[in-house]
Amino acid sequence: MIKALVITHGGIGQELVRVTEMILGPVPGLTAMSNSGKSAIDITARIKEWQAEIPDDGGDDFSASDRKLILLDDYGGSCATSAQLACGQDPDTAIISGVNLAMLLGFVTWRDSGDFEELVAKVVQKGREAILLVGGR
Amino acid sequence: MPVILARIDDRLIHGQVTVGWSERLRPDRILLANNAIAADPWQTRVYSSTVPPDIDVSILPVSKAAASLGEPEHQDERVLLLTGSAEEMAELVRIGVPITEVNVGGLHFGPGKREMLPFVYVDRQDLKAFTRLLEMGMTLSAQQVPGGREYLLDEEQIREMGEKF
Repeated sequence: MIKALVITHGGIGQELVRVTEMILGPVPGLTAMSNSGKSAIDITARIKEWQAEIPDDGGDDFSASDRKLILLDDYGGSCATSAQLACGQDPDTAIISGVNLAMLLGFVTWRDSGDFEELVAKVVQKGREAILLVGGR
Repeated sequence: MPVILARIDDRLIHGQVTVGWSERLRPDRILLANNAIAADPWQTRVYSSTVPPDIDVSILPVSKAAASLGEPEHQDERVLLLTGSAEEMAELVRIGVPITEVNVGGLHFGPGKREMLPFVYVDRQDLKAFTRLLEMGMTLSAQQVPGGREYLLDEEQIREMGEKF
């Protein structure tokens, strides 16, 4: 099963994961990481640790050969740079910036449904579609 | 060549630099002096890609960064000079980079480091480099972002911090 890591500034990622689970129930293999208080080297090392970990969901849904997804809040920040340095050359890990709630809901809903590249494309599209001018001009 | 900000920050090129300080100071070029990144084309590409397109970026070994500042084609540039450690900044000053002030922007927690300020964690080596910078006539101040609180780091504070080890 595909696992995902949300890497953000401050507590944004933890809250996004918490709210995702509030809506959809517990999501094995979905975790958050904050850059708060960490140097670039430290964040990079922790992302590499995550990459090697096999999530414990009580069963055997996850394996070392699974594809992986990283979601970032802002391209150009230390989270994004560290994610690229840790996993940017690994073809099995996709990295998307601009994470929002719609993307996480989409990821959880679609992650078991087949093609990884298609899933990544759908998550990106879902995130874009969630940005709307709802009121005002 | 004027260095408009010389900053020590272990996150190197990131939001506080490319957005925070760059929006305020409008540098023509960000110069990162770092041997490991300069030697690795992949890391150089990743760090360079995070700099806004209207700002030039150079990532050079420490020894070449100083020379680059003196080159005729860079004479009129406003440069934001970055290192990941106090030691590297001290080395740049020793080689002759023309600056008088150093901004300590962020040194994060790591093994053997103790808190000096909420965003400045140091070990003995960092303190030695701070002292060397002061001895070479630098003013040292810690400040994360423009408009943020500025803390002057003087000889006495560095000595007091040294006594905690």
